Amino acid sequence: MPASTYRERVELARPNRLQTVGLLLGAVVFVVPLVVDIPDLAPVGQRMLAIFLLAIVLWVTEAIPLVATAVLVILLEVLMVSDQALVAVAGDTLAADAYFAALADPVIMLFLGGFLIADGANKFALDRNLAGVMLRPFAGRARRTVLGLMAITAVLSMFVSNTATTATMFAVVLPILAALPAGPARTGLALAIPVAANVGGIGTPVGSPPNAIALGALEAQGEGVSFLGWMLLAVPLMLVVLLASWWLLTRRYIAADTPMQLELSAEFDRSPAAIVFYVVAGGTVLLWLTEPLHGISSSTVGFVPVVALLATGVMGGEDLKTLQWPVLWLVAGGIALGAGIGATGMDAWLIGLFAWDRLPLSLLLVMLVVVGLGLSTVISNSATANLLVPLALTLAVGLPIDVTAVGVMIALSCALAMALPISTPPNAVAYATGEVDTRAMASTGLAIGGFGAVLVAFVLPWLWDVLGLL
Amino acid sequence: MRLSVLILEDERPVREALARDLAGFADVVRVEVAEDVPDAWQVVEELDVDGDRLALVLADHRLPGTSGVEFLVQLLDDPRTARARKVLVTGQADQQDTIRAVNEAGLDHYIAKPWDVDELTEVVRDQLTEHVTEHRLDPLPHLRVLDAARVMPLLRERGDR
Repeated sequence: MPASTYRERVELARPNRLQTVGLLLGAVVFVVPLVVDIPDLAPVGQRMLAIFLLAIVLWVTEAIPLVATAVLVILLEVLMVSDQALVAVAGDTLAADAYFAALADPVIMLFLGGFLIADGANKFALDRNLAGVMLRPFAGRARRTVLGLMAITAVLSMFVSNTATTATMFAVVLPILAALPAGPARTGLALAIPVAANVGGIGTPVGSPPNAIALGALEAQGEGVSFLGWMLLAVPLMLVVLLASWWLLTRRYIAADTPMQLELSAEFDRSPAAIVFYVVAGGTVLLWLTEPLHGISSSTVGFVPVVALLATGVMGGEDLKTLQWPVLWLVAGGIALGAGIGATGMDAWLIGLFAWDRLPLSLLLVMLVVVGLGLSTVISNSATANLLVPLALTLAVGLPIDVTAVGVMIALSCALAMALPISTPPNAVAYATGEVDTRAMASTGLAIGGFGAVLVAFVLPWLWDVLGLL
Repeated sequence: MRLSVLILEDERPVREALARDLAGFADVVRVEVAEDVPDAWQVVEELDVDGDRLALVLADHRLPGTSGVEFLVQLLDDPRTARARKVLVTGQADQQDTIRAVNEAGLDHYIAKPWDVDELTEVVRDQLTEHVTEHRLDPLPHLRVLDAARVMPLLRERGDR
């Protein structure tokens, strides 16, 4: 075939109205703290406040890509509030290295391992085959099949990104979807996958980026949570919300007598490379779950599969290149932001801004959960966590509540936002299939998110306390 | 940016029949018709101005003054059209024409007239899917007219946000 020599034109996207507003407003909020004297905030803190306000505006409006804002935060911190600041500033400054170090924070190492295992699972079709095996006990009735699909989606999503899980499971579900008569059953099934993927993401530290952001920030405060520790905190919520979602979706959309046939073949790859991968992946998960026994931190364990898979040639440079670096860097931006707030005295200023301890503690927690849920419904979950986690942890230090509880609660509330197609990529995929309209997604998403938020705000802190987890 | 399908066919009833058979794509994909080659280039111009993307050309072979195969070869020399998938819909192309279409225009598919509606829509769906995966376009805006299972790997790589 005659090859065309034309390369793809790189088109610069023209900013839409919201983005234009974001750019202008970003410039304003950035400059104001630099020129206006803010009481009780040292000059270095004022600079940090400028960076933080700019990050809020850019992450909310997406005037520039999310990952671009993340690296901008790091660059501005180095240029303005580090020991290498262009214009030297009085007050405490971190070394520039400390801000760059966010890109290789231990939690990034943890995610690197998680991502590589997830990509390998796809490369060797382990995800699809596991889905086939796990679905067998659920075959038969429609509602049971949906329960099976949601359970498998959630389990995969605990270790694989929510988006990749959705893509894998939709590939499985599309033939069943096409065989169903047009109508509510299709809507229910097409909603079941993204809902389960979103909810499953809260189950482990590597399940979705907000978990990493919370973990990284907690670790920086000396309140590290182990892999198993996170699961004990989050899995009860995951199971309850998942079951409730299944109940809601099936009662609402899927009649008990809906014909639904699904047979998945499971042919496990038995090549030597695949077997090495199974051993490495299985060993990594085992080490993650047994941290209390051996004491090796989960981020160190996360780096083991990176080394093992590259050394054995099971995965190579190509696999490294296709890792989701923008996600890793987005998380790093949040970690750097938290580090800057802590190092410049902006945290003390925030605490002093308002008599936070006069507010009832429960009201404060409800506010945090509501803001997390609301903001991540319309903007990126990771960006929400990047902005809220440092603020919330700062406030929590002075309050009679466990800091860990606050960090985890924020991450969980971000994950529960699923009312709109733009809320999460899994929602966007379901919407794009044309089987789900905005109204169905909004009513389901609000019900599930609202139910989950009530549990996070009122039941979880009590449960964690009773179980002695914190 | 919308994907576009261009139908090049000089006989009006045939042109209309093709457009009608592709009506199911029309709410997602921009379906354009042209009666001759200058008209077709005019459509290319309009698509470019609107920021839409020519993804697929369905061309008849025998056209007044020129041939559909000739047009398909020309497409390769224009950056706006070089990546479009190319399908001949014809009953009159002889072996020489067909060989030239395959070797010089990079023909992607051949549909013999009279066409079968299901076959036509399947070919269009398949070619649009190929175009999206080959050029790694964002499949979501077009997902309803694509072979969804085949574009899922593109979505995998996106990551959470």
